[in-house]
Amino acid sequence: MIGDGFPLLSTVILLPLLGAIAVGLSRNLHWAKVIAVAVAIIELLLTVMVRWAFDPANSGTFQLLERYAWIPSLNSEFLVGVDGISVLFLPMTALLTLMAISASWTAVQHLQRLHFALLLALEGITIGVFSALDTMLFFLFWELTLPPIFFLIGLWGIGPKRRGAAMKYTLFMLFGGVPLLFAFIILALNPAQAMDGAIPYGLCFNLETLLASPLPDNLQALVFLLLLLGFAVKAPLIPFHTWLPTAAMEGPAQLTALLMGLKLGIYGLLRFALPLAPSAALEYSWVLGILGAITLIYGGLIALQQSNLRRLLAYASISHVGLVIIGISSLTMQGIQGAILQLFNFALIASSLMLLAGFIQQRFASTEAIHLGGLAKTMPRLTCFYFLFVLASIGVPGTNGFPAELLLIIGALTAHPGLGIAALAGAVLGAAYMFAFTRRAFFGPITQSAVLHAQDLRPRELALLGVPALLVLAFGFFPEGVLDLNRGAAEAWLSHLLDQPSIDGGAMPAGEDAL
Amino acid sequence: MDALAVLIPLLPFIAAALIGVGQFSGILQGEASETVTATIANWAISMACLLALVLLGADWQGKNKGSLGLGHWLNSDTLDIPVNFITTGFNVVLAALFALLLVLILRFAVNYMHREAGFHRFFFIFSLFASAMLLLVLSGNAVGTFFGWEIAGVCSYLLIAYAYNRPIAAMNATRIFVTNRIGDAGFILGIGLSYSWGGSVSWQQLNAAQLSTGEATGIALSFMIAAFAKSAQLPFTPWLARAMEGPTPSSAAFYGAVMIHAGVFLVCLLAPVFEQAPFAMAILAVIGGATALYSFIVGLTQTDVKSSLVFATSGQLGLMFLACGLGYWQLAAWHLCAHAIVRCYQFLTAPSLMHNVLDNPIKPVTPAVTALRWAYIASLQRFWLDQITDWTLVRPIRRLAQDLSYFDDHVVDHIMGVPLSTISSLASLAQVKEQTLAARIDKDDSHFALGTGIAGKLTEWVAAIMHWFEDRFVLRGIGKDVLHYGRKLGHAANKFELLILRPRYLVLFVFITLLMVF
Repeated sequence: MIGDGFPLLSTVILLPLLGAIAVGLSRNLHWAKVIAVAVAIIELLLTVMVRWAFDPANSGTFQLLERYAWIPSLNSEFLVGVDGISVLFLPMTALLTLMAISASWTAVQHLQRLHFALLLALEGITIGVFSALDTMLFFLFWELTLPPIFFLIGLWGIGPKRRGAAMKYTLFMLFGGVPLLFAFIILALNPAQAMDGAIPYGLCFNLETLLASPLPDNLQALVFLLLLLGFAVKAPLIPFHTWLPTAAMEGPAQLTALLMGLKLGIYGLLRFALPLAPSAALEYSWVLGILGAITLIYGGLIALQQSNLRRLLAYASISHVGLVIIGISSLTMQGIQGAILQLFNFALIASSLMLLAGFIQQRFASTEAIHLGGLAKTMPRLTCFYFLFVLASIGVPGTNGFPAELLLIIGALTAHPGLGIAALAGAVLGAAYMFAFTRRAFFGPITQSAVLHAQDLRPRELALLGVPALLVLAFGFFPEGVLDLNRGAAEAWLSHLLDQPSIDGGAMPAGEDAL
Repeated sequence: MDALAVLIPLLPFIAAALIGVGQFSGILQGEASETVTATIANWAISMACLLALVLLGADWQGKNKGSLGLGHWLNSDTLDIPVNFITTGFNVVLAALFALLLVLILRFAVNYMHREAGFHRFFFIFSLFASAMLLLVLSGNAVGTFFGWEIAGVCSYLLIAYAYNRPIAAMNATRIFVTNRIGDAGFILGIGLSYSWGGSVSWQQLNAAQLSTGEATGIALSFMIAAFAKSAQLPFTPWLARAMEGPTPSSAAFYGAVMIHAGVFLVCLLAPVFEQAPFAMAILAVIGGATALYSFIVGLTQTDVKSSLVFATSGQLGLMFLACGLGYWQLAAWHLCAHAIVRCYQFLTAPSLMHNVLDNPIKPVTPAVTALRWAYIASLQRFWLDQITDWTLVRPIRRLAQDLSYFDDHVVDHIMGVPLSTISSLASLAQVKEQTLAARIDKDDSHFALGTGIAGKLTEWVAAIMHWFEDRFVLRGIGKDVLHYGRKLGHAANKFELLILRPRYLVLFVFITLLMVF
């Protein structure tokens, strides 16, 4: 059915959007839900097919390219494609959305159609972010993620300050969008100036062309810092992280799971910030590394202090982002492959833990440790899943967290030993904050009558958590499945950065010695 | 015969998976299915033991090739992590010995755990632990060993928290896991250094690699931290006493016979690297000797059976490390095997011993110690090691976390701007108009200078600041405001200085500087 000419990527971008419209328009609530799930399942199958159609042997080049005229006057196109870095995020997004939809099957009680429509729309837009190869198109999708998230937090949030949280999230993201736009415009102007083209027609937003024609050195630093600022807000890095704990406390669990599972910010750094300003990236990689180390330790220490599972997970997620950034800044194969693998892991681990927190919230109307205590006794299955995901999140062997963490730490140790040691300290902190909370919430005597009569996971919830749990174990034992896909891409990515024709005469690995 | 090495850790793992799935799905539940669980675990571990003995026999006959490779687990650039096993020498001896002891303990546990609430859970964790330990001793590369190392640690956590409704058990389990995590960090550091300096994570290649003295010392020290944490050497010794919360068979398996020896095993495995690092050998000997002495003195005042055994264990392990440090590797290896057997027996008989000596009070503490009051107190207090760790590490980090948490909520969040809730913001244009009109009335300093454009606005703001300064400070002289603001500023500065001079921050800064220099 699907030959070479079939526009697979456009289909996976548009299908959820059309599904969202269908869900929004359907009169019957039951049918709306069925449509939502059906679309999500078809989408998951299609994205798996994308992975199928993708050729791992050439993962360094963009594949499944589709090109349509979009804004001819600006020379901007609808150009989509995937390479070894982005290809796995498509099925992950689809899987996460399916999980989010089934997690909110009964949890959402008002405006259900709008809720499911927004989740589907967010899915399509996010897949657009992961596959856009035109900087304007990317920016469009990037900003389009805002409205669904704003309404999802504001309308179905579980905290009393959900409106404020939605506003806070939106303002942070709008703030982050400005430097991105600036950077993309500077980048687009460059080829035009280099070739003396007329301004609107000589503009270039095509990522491949931009990669092939690097900026002059004086502009690179500016573009790198602008992109870093823009993506740091979304990642989030210190000090732009405060929206995440707020969103985790106020927003609905299914949305926070998506926010913490899909790290668009780090993807942006990998895809745009470093490759588009290669010599600046080399020069300032230590800045990135130190930012990562600060984020890692700072997030970990604050997580140690949290008594609420959702807030704890938010800070743990911030801390993990720090580790990934350290890995990227090492500019070694291990660091990059570990970073991509860890991004893939987030989608499984962080989001599953967040959904699990959502289930606890549904039962006890709180995820505060003081309202729990002794959960292991009455909810053994939930506790099993919780343990598996916690062990994965602190990187215990046998789970997929371990190969990623090992690669990241080895990458960091070979590039900047100081950062490697900070990463190790972060690993110790990780065990401390996770198990300190476990001790208070899951162990100990039962003190609340609600906990005594709690119902363990229902079949729907079991199935929902079972899939990521199996994947966590599978990729823990066989990490090559993911690493094979991104090996070529990571090599191409690194050689683009490290083997650039050095203009200023061989001062290349300057970033290495700067620490 | 080499191929048997795969099955030895695999069989207990399959048993663990079966019991785990069975219990999770509710098939294995209650007293009725106790025999099923016990049979699965028993068969798997007994078979593993048999295979290990066969492997040992084959090794003595000289029929093993020495190693077995099974493809790759992970590959990234030049980092290549194989799945391989060592099928000769000390590793196989230990595998056979550990498997044998595990079978004995398992047999003991079947009756001992009868009708316990967590019967199935115990056997799940025990099988997983058996698999992890056998992998630990047989794996041919550092990552495989770490697999077993860390999973054994998790199993130890789960069994210490076996009676999880008791807060003390849960507390001790958490503390022990985090303490051991420091050792694990050392292990990972060792793996990283082996890769970047030795070029490989395979034990055999690492031992044969050409390392300078400095590199060998670095690698040896990293693995030594891991070994000290796992084998409860100074300064990690106190965790062992906390670990006695689990059921007796688990104490015997983890802290008497098997897991506690993993540290000595690791050091023995890396003997060629240690031989190249005289400094690391010296530290090994010093810490080993110090732990032996410490355990002896503290052990003198212990009056219950399990704590005496605990300190006897850590003391003997200290002696093994001392032997290693002095270069008597063979002696340490023999000591390890002999100690494992004796201690296994002692731990298993501990409950009956307690039962039997009920009317037979334990001998009072040696008079030689009671005479020296300070020594007696120090021994009773176990040299305050736990408290010292609390003061120097746990509490400062907690406080730092507290400070940072406050900083994050009250400073970063405010600087980044907490938007007003939409409830309190303006709803309609009419309200905006009203506010702009109303606001004018009661503002005493009406905007005299209103600028437009960037320059105009800048002038306006500068003028406003100058005006404020003139008004508050120059015209009113040293008024109330100056004193007020001055005092506030002073307080803030004082607070900041006090905070920054706290030892935890000083240490933090020193640490950060060291990392930078590194």
